[in-house]
Amino acid sequence: MDAKLKETILNPIFKGNPITVLVLGICSSLAVTVTLKGALVMTLSVIVVCGISSLILSLLRNTIPGRVRIIVQLVVVAMMVILVDQVLKSFEATYAIDKQLSVYIGLIITNCIVMGRIEAFALGNKPWPSFLDGVSNGAGYGLILIVVAFFRELLGSGTLFGIDILNRFGYVPNNLVILPPFALILLGCIVWVQRSIQKDLQEK
Amino acid sequence: MNTNSNLYTVIYTTLIVVVVAALLAFVSQSLKSRQDANEKAETISQMLTAAQYGSKAELDKLSNTQKLDKYAQEISKAFVIDLEGNMVKELEGIEVYGPKPLKRQNYNIKGGANKTDEPELPVFIFKNGRTVVPIYGAGLWGPIWGYISFEADKLTMGGAYFDHESETAGLGAKIKDDPSFQAQFAGKTANFADANVVDISKGGQIDAISGATMTSKGLDAAIDTWLAAYAKYFSKEEE
Amino acid sequence: METVSLFVKSIFVDNMIFAYFLGMCSFLAVSKNVKTAAGLGLAVIFVLLVTLPINYLLNTYVLAPDALIEGVDLSFLSFIVFIAVIAAIVQIVEMVVEKFSPELYSSLGIFLPLIAVNCAILGGSLFMQQKDFVNIGQATVYSLGSGLGWFLAIVSLAAIREKMSYSNVPDALKGLGITFITVGLMGIAFMTFMGIAL
Repeated sequence: MDAKLKETILNPIFKGNPITVLVLGICSSLAVTVTLKGALVMTLSVIVVCGISSLILSLLRNTIPGRVRIIVQLVVVAMMVILVDQVLKSFEATYAIDKQLSVYIGLIITNCIVMGRIEAFALGNKPWPSFLDGVSNGAGYGLILIVVAFFRELLGSGTLFGIDILNRFGYVPNNLVILPPFALILLGCIVWVQRSIQKDLQEK
Repeated sequence: MNTNSNLYTVIYTTLIVVVVAALLAFVSQSLKSRQDANEKAETISQMLTAAQYGSKAELDKLSNTQKLDKYAQEISKAFVIDLEGNMVKELEGIEVYGPKPLKRQNYNIKGGANKTDEPELPVFIFKNGRTVVPIYGAGLWGPIWGYISFEADKLTMGGAYFDHESETAGLGAKIKDDPSFQAQFAGKTANFADANVVDISKGGQIDAISGATMTSKGLDAAIDTWLAAYAKYFSKEEE
Repeated sequence: METVSLFVKSIFVDNMIFAYFLGMCSFLAVSKNVKTAAGLGLAVIFVLLVTLPINYLLNTYVLAPDALIEGVDLSFLSFIVFIAVIAAIVQIVEMVVEKFSPELYSSLGIFLPLIAVNCAILGGSLFMQQKDFVNIGQATVYSLGSGLGWFLAIVSLAAIREKMSYSNVPDALKGLGITFITVGLMGIAFMTFMGIAL
């Protein structure tokens, strides 16, 4: 595979991780990491939305007038997410899934990662690399989400995926862990670990 | 064509707006009846859960048609009352009250600038003796609503089911996802004489959800407001 | 007075950052020094102050059920309408800042256009939809308060970060790491405002 393409795919997972390095997608990582299930649903949604939006915007990139750049990007992303929501709401088989996703729709449209990658990559690159960039940023985001959700659900509710793990041993769920500030502290620790391993990311 | 010229910008923006609006409107309109059917079936399944015909998980296994059939089978009387507890009209066919009509009635109950009519409160009496009434209110991030059933004595609560639009997963969302939260309502008495008809608080009549103070408070307020509206109906003698 | 309590509540009790954790990305990234933080904070106040009342009018007279035409409920368009309004205002702000303060423009970088997806700004409009304000005056007071709350949060964080540059923070924790932890602690502190009934 082309070296540049490989870099596009691998970078966002660790070295250029959207949450811990680019500082994007923080709001949702606080809200959806109370449960592992929530983290997974959100991850999949962001991977899909980020990938396809980057693809579409990259295809349109030479036609967008400079002055309305932001509006066009947002409208395309919002339209896509709303369309998916409308379609999922209409079929019996997917209605239940949509009810779960609806809660996150707002968080997906405004997820800074989607807009951030469109601005920083898709508008200046070809469709296929843009699509890959979107997907792998979504994956890098998901990786962090899953780690945070793992600790938050385990320590905050004693469960994983709703299945009791710790409570049976008499563990009393820690309420502080369930609250958003703790997610921030966890993120700080993750950054600490990452930068201890990758010394070139450290700030002076 | 110069992509930065004013003319191009205006044409492009207009085109995008028209295309997006048309696409969304078209999709929304053509799918509306299917969406409404799904929502109706979901509302029925929620009411049946409150009336204790089974757990939500069990009822969710039914298809839309099966849910409608079950409702038609089990409903004994469905009608609308006013604030005085008098029946205003019967509900024909399968007419149920989901979040949208509940939102309107919520404005009517509360009065104020958004009130459009006198409140019309639905009552659903099932063949197993349970009376189901809806509630609606504001959670932390968005609206919350649900259904509570009462035993034949019209004082003791039976089952309950709540739903929300955007409460936090794992916290406020527990009003919907945690059957053990809902199970707390069974056997408890609603105190219609008190402003706090049902008490949802830490260690109270109904134990509030840890870490979801705002959602719990919102639910408490919603239940108090709506049950107070039904108070006159419930205190009337059994027909 | 109701307006005053609404105003004070929207700054402290309903603080966009510490109560709802909205607008985090730019909040964390642009709080390295007080001057840039204040610049972004002012931009956020301005965008909120302009977009929220406009969205309030749109919501009341176009989007709400039966608002435009009897029997027509356009609320499914809320998201896209609010976002379009916000994006348009942000585009204007971007052009103005680029023209009048190029140094602020370059120090804000990507976070200026990102105001358009700043969850705090969209969140403000969405909360407005739920809070059922009686008139546009209340909506404006709420938007001013929310903006000020965000401004207060980012400037205080920037002040703390500037002071922290003199502390002995472990190398791997410097910058983003210690910031996350600091904000977490500030969040816990702000929770004291949560139960206050004004």
